[in-house]
Amino acid sequence: MKGRLLVVIVVVALVAAVAGVVKLTGGAATQRAASAGPAPRTAWGDPDLQGIWTDPYQTPLQRPAQFANKESFSDDERAALDSQRAAIPRRDQRVERGSERDVAGAYNAVFQSVRPTGKRTSLIVDPPDGRLPPLTPEATTRNAAEREYRLALLQPTETCKKKDAACAGGKYGSVSARRNEIPPFYNTGRTNRNDGPEDRSMAERCMGAVLPDFGGYRRIVQAKGSVSIFYDTGQGQGWQRVIPVDGSPHLPSSVTQRFGDSRGRWDGDTLVVDVTNFSPKFSYQAARENLHLVERFRRVDANTIEYSATIEDSTTWTRPWTVKQELLRQDEQANRIYYEPRCHEGNYGLPTMLLGTRIEERAFAKGEGPDPATKDTATDFGNEGGADALTGAAGAIF
Amino acid sequence: MGKTIAVAILSAVVGAGLALALMRSAGAPASSRSARTADGKPDFNGVWQAINEAHWDLQAHEARAGMVTQPGVYPSYEFARVPAAPVLALGAAAGVPGSIGVVEGDGQIPYTPAAAAMKKENGENWIDRDPELKCYLPGIPRAMYMPYPFQIVQSTNKIQMAYTFANAARTIHFDKVEGPPDDTYMGHSVGRWEGDTLVVNVTSFNGKNWFDRAGNFHSAALKLVERYTPITADAIRYEVTIEDPEVFTRSWKISMPLYRRLEPHAQLVEYPCIEFAEEFLYGHVRKQPLVRRWEGETMIVDITRKVPPGDKFHDWYRR
Repeated sequence: MKGRLLVVIVVVALVAAVAGVVKLTGGAATQRAASAGPAPRTAWGDPDLQGIWTDPYQTPLQRPAQFANKESFSDDERAALDSQRAAIPRRDQRVERGSERDVAGAYNAVFQSVRPTGKRTSLIVDPPDGRLPPLTPEATTRNAAEREYRLALLQPTETCKKKDAACAGGKYGSVSARRNEIPPFYNTGRTNRNDGPEDRSMAERCMGAVLPDFGGYRRIVQAKGSVSIFYDTGQGQGWQRVIPVDGSPHLPSSVTQRFGDSRGRWDGDTLVVDVTNFSPKFSYQAARENLHLVERFRRVDANTIEYSATIEDSTTWTRPWTVKQELLRQDEQANRIYYEPRCHEGNYGLPTMLLGTRIEERAFAKGEGPDPATKDTATDFGNEGGADALTGAAGAIF
Repeated sequence: MGKTIAVAILSAVVGAGLALALMRSAGAPASSRSARTADGKPDFNGVWQAINEAHWDLQAHEARAGMVTQPGVYPSYEFARVPAAPVLALGAAAGVPGSIGVVEGDGQIPYTPAAAAMKKENGENWIDRDPELKCYLPGIPRAMYMPYPFQIVQSTNKIQMAYTFANAARTIHFDKVEGPPDDTYMGHSVGRWEGDTLVVNVTSFNGKNWFDRAGNFHSAALKLVERYTPITADAIRYEVTIEDPEVFTRSWKISMPLYRRLEPHAQLVEYPCIEFAEEFLYGHVRKQPLVRRWEGETMIVDITRKVPPGDKFHDWYRR
């Protein structure tokens, strides 16, 4: 359970961190007219969702345990959490100067800008406790198999020797024979191996964006029969989506896509989007090709879209769950949204990491260096500066 | 640093073939559509595709035996070249179709002498240099005539264009916005209407794109004026005036029709080429190379890829 929570927290922190990189902190960015005015309509009569939108607040996906029975914060509580958070030094602190761990400090406080505390105690509104529903036995088995494999590869590292949290459930020992095995599932996370690009996380391969996306910025452009959304997210890993709203059927089930296949319809003033046909190559939480989303976009006033996503996968969770957030309209003219997702064009990190390991392997073979298998390239040692006031969680870039 | 590339090319070819195969059988067009939007403009909403050979070479050209060729048994005859190793295994599917070209006027691209030499060199080093093979954002105008469909979502003050290749996209602004904070691959597009013609000025390029697979290129000084004029409800006359004093002696123009994809429920299907290009880009730093000599009865294709020594590519390409 703890590991899963950590993954969730890392995802939330990633989204928050990345949003912060794109545009420094929320408060100033939010364009909120004194009077919001009624929700507008397009020239052809559809509800008008167009503009640049973001959720400018810091809200964890899952409700932290200390707020178990509390759906929303009072203004005083938000102010108190904001001041607590402001007092955290975050990543400006350094560790073991010159050590490999210290390299993680390159992502310092600039990359860790913090958004103000939101009104909600969690993005999840259903189940009513704000927590992810229990995993199915099948998903638990899948996760355990994956975790076991990752721990086997971590076994000969300092992380396990020191019994760091990242090695929880594992043990310190010699290089495991499992290092030569194919991972139990197509790998999407950081694995302690650099044999090829598939050992690295999707984010390191510049394919880190997923649907659903609760962070970043989105520009919505509409036409009769289609809604187009550009997601500016994930440090240049943004992506373009076109939702047909024309009654057409989903793609055949044999055609899967990274971002699934979206079909929209208008239900009164609400755009309802059904998303299926996800690729097994990408994961959201513990779900892959059986993921099914029902998203709802409703413009409640000129400056606010209420967005919700019901997330379902009967092979992964014991029941569907729902996330809700308010997206606030951003200034059009400033064009702060950074349109161009060019992570891949500048991805020198991935080949350099692979090349570095090849060089280490050659040195080891000549007896001139340590076995690269004993080095930990999977764990994020980030957020040395302290835990988040709201979630109690460590942050992470990847 | 030898690098094997057959897999990348195969992936591209198979991927393109798959995309075609996945399109549902065409029936009658999805009812007669209004040729105007609610605000009275020509209705460009929908899925479109150029159907020509401009992605191979903007200029008129003969068909050739392979995407990459080498001298045949008559070493001095250009017309007798044969497919080279990278594409040999693809047989007759490896060739390049001929074309009447899309460059207006005399059909020539007015390069400066230095740029003309660079273009020739680019063509000779296509595999090493073409950003398309690396799955980089294709840029404008190249994205408009790549052999993949793209979609126009036309609103009143914005148009978004979504391209199949690399999930590339651009927004055309009709209202006032600041330019991007840095030069870009896809450019900064500002549109206006001149009667029924959509006119788009595109600037803020980073100069890292090509026009085609023949090595035609530009610098960061590129400025485009695109003109989209309806021919029928299902065809657009697409014209681009190209200006780049760093590379060309005068402005020049390309022109081609764009065709509406009339299949019922035509839509873009992902072409996630980042992962398709990983072996091409990173195969040489794998622990165990995936592509090796074939053995037994299977064809053996060994490929050596080297960037020629003294290459001027970086001077041009990264300045």
